[in-house]
Amino acid sequence: MIYPQKLNSKKSAKIIYSLLSLSIIFAIIMITINRLTTPNIPWAAFINLGMIYTWIVVLFSIKRGINLAGHILLQTIAISAIIIYIDYKIGFKGWSINLGFPIILIVANITMLILTIISYKKYIKYAIYQLFIVGISLLPILLILEGKISNNLLNQIAIVISIANLVISLSLSYKDIKDAIIRNFHM
Amino acid sequence: MKKNKKDKLTWRRLDNSAKIFPMSAGKRYSTVFRLSVLLKEEVQPENLKEAVIQTLERYKFFKVKMKSGFFWYYLEHNTKEPIIEEERDYPCKYIDPKTNNGYLFKVTYFKNKINIDIFHALTDGNSGTTFFREIVYTYLELIYKEDLKTENRQLRKLEYSIEDSYIKNYDKKAKSNASGKIAYELKGKKIKLGAISVIHEIIDLEQLKEESKKNNATITQYLTAVLMYAIYNQNYIKYKGKKPIKICIPVNLKKYFQSNTMSNFFSYITLVADMHNTEIDTFEKMLEFVKGEFEERLKEEEIIKTMSTNVKIGSNFFIKVVPLILKNILVRISYIIIRKYTTITYSNIGRIGIIGDYKKYIDYFLMLIAPEPVEKIKCSSCSFENKMVFTFTSILDDNSIEREFYKFLTNRNIKVNIESNGVLDDISTEIK
Repeated sequence: MIYPQKLNSKKSAKIIYSLLSLSIIFAIIMITINRLTTPNIPWAAFINLGMIYTWIVVLFSIKRGINLAGHILLQTIAISAIIIYIDYKIGFKGWSINLGFPIILIVANITMLILTIISYKKYIKYAIYQLFIVGISLLPILLILEGKISNNLLNQIAIVISIANLVISLSLSYKDIKDAIIRNFHM
Repeated sequence: MKKNKKDKLTWRRLDNSAKIFPMSAGKRYSTVFRLSVLLKEEVQPENLKEAVIQTLERYKFFKVKMKSGFFWYYLEHNTKEPIIEEERDYPCKYIDPKTNNGYLFKVTYFKNKINIDIFHALTDGNSGTTFFREIVYTYLELIYKEDLKTENRQLRKLEYSIEDSYIKNYDKKAKSNASGKIAYELKGKKIKLGAISVIHEIIDLEQLKEESKKNNATITQYLTAVLMYAIYNQNYIKYKGKKPIKICIPVNLKKYFQSNTMSNFFSYITLVADMHNTEIDTFEKMLEFVKGEFEERLKEEEIIKTMSTNVKIGSNFFIKVVPLILKNILVRISYIIIRKYTTITYSNIGRIGIIGDYKKYIDYFLMLIAPEPVEKIKCSSCSFENKMVFTFTSILDDNSIEREFYKFLTNRNIKVNIESNGVLDDISTEIK
């Protein structure tokens, strides 16, 4: 073997189609939960739009070799800050932390998970961003404990997905994450 | 590190051929080539870094970064250290100067292998080999201090210049001899997610020489004909091609003119095989055609014509005065059309000569060229001792051309071993 191991073209095509099928199943589940719980707020539509956006960005970025994880982290922070600011400016109805923030976290975590699975051999590049995103994703726990959130459902989904993301990523790339922590935080 | 004021101010123009590369290059068209060496033992990164730093001190030509002027890009002395990393990505990817301390080359390693990816704006394959060989020599001297000493090869150190040999040697009156027909483009599904397949066919050089000799052909002519045959059988017929198959062969101009420049000094010949309107349909006919074309197009006056046409474009007053920002746009637009004039490129840099004592630490060398969205497969070769490595770099999700090439040589009792990066299926096990 004279090259680092790369995914065989047939295998990568299979992974893409499997993840696409999973995304469709996930979208259907979200729509069903939305219909059964809060049919008057179309939050599942926002999640699904976010997933379409994610697919476009992920495929484009991998093709072009862009540091996608860095972009996701930046976009997560920037979009969250913008929506919270807008909500605050128009009288703080709480939609930013009840709906907007968890939707952004769900999309960011799913994107990171796709990225981890597709390119886990060079995962070390993404490990530190992944940890930051998981860290941010746990903020809703504080908000729930502080009683700032009136609608817990989406935030609970976001927390569960981020923990699942962390567990899957750890099981795939434990050594890389450890290495990234040592590399970035050595004294 | 204390910066030397004189070093900071040193700059030079890009050579005539290099001018175009930064304007047309990007993530889709990297114009990067790679040289690799397979050593007998695992690479030691610290020593490799030291070897690159020492070599750069001897070859300051490569210690540069690209800057943009108002009319043209130019090169300026780079005071930063080069970055040496373990190989992770696909080969010949665009070298982003921002993540590479500004350098236009990138040295990576993987197990026993050292790679150098070089942006073509910096130099050509011939001078790139000289620089890479120096890195390899220095690295081996750092590892095997007792056995190898720099002093032993001081006398052989190459004196080089940085002149633009194109300007010095072109003929102002020469007229273009370029063929106007758009080339057949290899058809098929592309590999997903920007992956690049690499397949090396490691050929027994003695057996290949013998087979070429039997056919009164040079090795380059023979392999070009095999490549044409593989394309014809596995792609052209399958997709009912009508346009001519055009094979671009870069030519080292230092063999034709007295030049010891480190800058680019190459031209190319294009073999135009109009399969649709002629009867070039067997290997024998293809080999005869290739031999004839080589003979015709490698004549000095033909080479000068091609070279001079390109130089005249670069030195045209009206092109010179166009601001760089506009040139970038115009070159990118015109390259959409220019790229359609070649089906495939095959570059053979030939034998890589290594001093006796150093040979025992080296297994073989590799050369790779970046494939592009239009030229989906690019081929290259080089030889060391009895191993000639013919490399296919491809973005086509189909290895039938590579397989046909392998099958053809092995059917003629030429021993071929396969190495690949695993993106496409292993062709040697498929055939067995």
